[in-house]
Amino acid sequence: MFGAGAMTNSIPEIRDTDLMFVIGSNTTEAHPIIAMEMKRARQAGARLIVADPRKIWMAEQADLHLQLRPGTDVWLLSAMAHVIINENLHDQAFIDANTEGFEAVKERVQQYSPDEAEKITGVPAEDIRTAARMYATTRKAGIYYTLGITEHTHGTDNVYCLANLVLMTGHLGVRSAGMNPLRGQNNVQGANDAGATPMYYPGYQPVTDDEVRKKFEAAWNVPLSPDDGLNLNVMMKCLAKGTLKGMYVMGEDIVISEPNVSQVELGLNECEFLICQEIFHNETTRFADVVFPASCFAEKDGVFANSDRRVQRVRKAVDPPGNAKEDWKILIEFAQASGYDMPDYANPGEIFDEMASLTPKVAGISHQRLEERIEGLQWPCTDSEHPGTPTLHVDGPLIGKAQFQAVDYRPSAELPDDDFPLVLSTGRTLYHYNSATQTRRDPGPSIKQRQNFIEINRKNAKMLGIEHGETVRIISRRGAIEAEAWITPRVRFGCIWMPMHFAESRANLLTNDAGDSVTGTGEYKVCAVKIEKIKPTSPVSIASAVDQLAPVLNKPM
Amino acid sequence: MIKSNSFTVEINGQTYSADAGETVYEVAQRNGVEIPTLCHDPRLDPAGACRVCLVEVEGQRRLQPGCAWKVDADMKIQTESDRISRHRQVLYSMYMSDHRTDEEGGLPEETGNVNQLRELCATIDPIPLEKVEAPRAARPGDDNPYIEFDPELCILCARCTRYCDEVEAVNAITLAERGSETTIATAGQRSLIDTSCELCGGCIDTCPTGALIEKKAPKLMPLETKTTRTTCNFCGVGCQMDLHTHNNRLVKITSPAPGETLNDGNLCVKGRFAYDFVHHEDRLTEPLIRREDGQLHPATWDEAIKVASEGMNRVKAKYGSDALGFVSSSRCTIEENYLMQKLSRAAFGTNNIHQCAAT
Repeated sequence: MFGAGAMTNSIPEIRDTDLMFVIGSNTTEAHPIIAMEMKRARQAGARLIVADPRKIWMAEQADLHLQLRPGTDVWLLSAMAHVIINENLHDQAFIDANTEGFEAVKERVQQYSPDEAEKITGVPAEDIRTAARMYATTRKAGIYYTLGITEHTHGTDNVYCLANLVLMTGHLGVRSAGMNPLRGQNNVQGANDAGATPMYYPGYQPVTDDEVRKKFEAAWNVPLSPDDGLNLNVMMKCLAKGTLKGMYVMGEDIVISEPNVSQVELGLNECEFLICQEIFHNETTRFADVVFPASCFAEKDGVFANSDRRVQRVRKAVDPPGNAKEDWKILIEFAQASGYDMPDYANPGEIFDEMASLTPKVAGISHQRLEERIEGLQWPCTDSEHPGTPTLHVDGPLIGKAQFQAVDYRPSAELPDDDFPLVLSTGRTLYHYNSATQTRRDPGPSIKQRQNFIEINRKNAKMLGIEHGETVRIISRRGAIEAEAWITPRVRFGCIWMPMHFAESRANLLTNDAGDSVTGTGEYKVCAVKIEKIKPTSPVSIASAVDQLAPVLNKPM
Repeated sequence: MIKSNSFTVEINGQTYSADAGETVYEVAQRNGVEIPTLCHDPRLDPAGACRVCLVEVEGQRRLQPGCAWKVDADMKIQTESDRISRHRQVLYSMYMSDHRTDEEGGLPEETGNVNQLRELCATIDPIPLEKVEAPRAARPGDDNPYIEFDPELCILCARCTRYCDEVEAVNAITLAERGSETTIATAGQRSLIDTSCELCGGCIDTCPTGALIEKKAPKLMPLETKTTRTTCNFCGVGCQMDLHTHNNRLVKITSPAPGETLNDGNLCVKGRFAYDFVHHEDRLTEPLIRREDGQLHPATWDEAIKVASEGMNRVKAKYGSDALGFVSSSRCTIEENYLMQKLSRAAFGTNNIHQCAAT
């Protein structure tokens, strides 16, 4: 955001913070160990503001819960900026020294008064004012967000709004403050850092930059494409259109993870050649032409990079089962067989060294150094003496001046209407992980959450005549699934929530594949649905009536 | 630190610098002076419950718990003395009289978790005391799959209940009943599954005597397993963990000690317990190729690699490089992601490379 897409601060700094603004993150369930740091900060007296459409556990503990309507984040955050600027709580000295574009934002947010915001977001204007004042007047105030911010068609706008708040209050380069996206997966950060992205070589070096490309062409000894590639969301659409004809998918179940999966399935049927590299059969391997049996984290060496840019070792503890192989070995063999002169790296340490030699940001990191640094090394780490960087931007923005971005509110791509009157948001629970191929093979998670469910407000349930625990059908314009209804005050009136873990009841049959214009990220957090009862409305259903009568009916005459 | 808040204290005749607010135990530990303890955990507020860490503080008539006693300027502390040795001998003997013992009256062999009381008792000449019949209740009906409570090994130091309150903050377990019946309980002695417990297993990790153990870990002595330090493969926090293996099988996962790594000794239910997938019978173990019958069949690596590379090259020849897409994985290592994007760009000439991570 200010030159790097990562947490500006470190996880161990959280315990010393004075204020946490948690937005779009169900931290206790999605990042339990970061939540422990937050709980510790809370016990030491830090204040907590939670903005979330659901009354999650953190919201119950918070000083202030801003229970906004899904998809209205830009309104909420712009109104907070409105208050900060109009009450003169912004840090003009920081703005002058480190940023550009403040005037445009100052002007734009005038349209977003807290009173108007109350009508759109459903959050009381006074709470918005209080939150803005608390955030702006606390020095060590950190923002923590995750996919509740980014999984929208206006996800980038949401992030800009947060960045504007950070910049106008000077909460950057300060310990225990900053702007902190909590990454969802073990190595999301590392996969991006390593260049598994259509726009960048490793270390966020643009593929369209001639100098950069020449460097990689020289290193890899082959001419390279100067054009940006397709992001995953667009790839899925090109599959359906028939312009993408061959795919190599490593370790992702695209048929369960991508939005609007029925389109993905149609596309995969048209795909002429599909390779899957996996540890289990999943929904995607059903379409594969070749399946490579791969290894899990306990079976290979390498490194992961976590949310706070920390590169840490992964070490082999057991052998892969049967003839399964380490993924890196498979990739080398495949590249060589395909006619490219991929070197015979003896171990992942050598692969990392090649990447580090081409990537200034991690040039000082190596497997050897990580043997001594049990707490890992945080990039930027530019040479072998560099101690790593726990807090970013202590000396100002990484490149030039940080840009304010004036943002306009755009509604979510699909809003509720008469036909589909409810807003569905999806997410993760504590007990399962993504497509749950790992966690559903363990007894604990399965006992806690055996099958898919929705959370629904009592009032909505009553209107539909739904009882707690009843199986209902949830329908969107893209598909329909069945799940158990949990009646709970956690969700707002008009909103339902559902986890995304269950292959037999896939939330992503319902979700909208409309993508963010910059990142392509799908709108998992807002789509319009309706709910239909499956069992008859009478309080005593026929099934249970039959059950009750069974002992009588079965009696020998 | 403001100067007036720093001062010196004397421990066993040696002078050490200390800060206001520090405890005797903290100053001693920082300077390598060993004070035994059972109920202390650096993540928790001091409880002074086990009385193992009692020290002599000059000017105090009674022995004081080092874990809770705050240092003051020029305080003189003695951590070893005849008086302290006598205290330990009596205290440990009393613990043993209320602890399950083997036929010889010693403490039983360890079962997976280290019993620190056992190690302490080995340092004294125990006084034979009559066995205490403490009717501490267990939870025999608790069908949770991970956490087992053995009341006969419990010393009621309350590390587990304090961890559940202060660190995990779910308050699923508590000290219940009074006197010799005091036990570690859930509300109404329900199964942990039916409480606010999130099955993080932190109670097992902090228990000093092995009264809380893992149900699923084979009851091996710790020395029999090999330990490998690695990074958790679930969310993006990056917790460090030690994989315990035995005969090429993963049998247990524990956290490094508090203070060593960013997770500060903590793990969640997924990190600590959800590892059955590693050796699951559903794992893919052979390369598979889709044959003429439309089904996937096992094949050799040589053939699978050949068929796969020919397939991708065929599509490239027919439609061009940009008709190919490469999906890498945020679940795999940095090195593997590097190779995947290099494969896409260098071997097949396209920047159509992405992964599931779109944050």
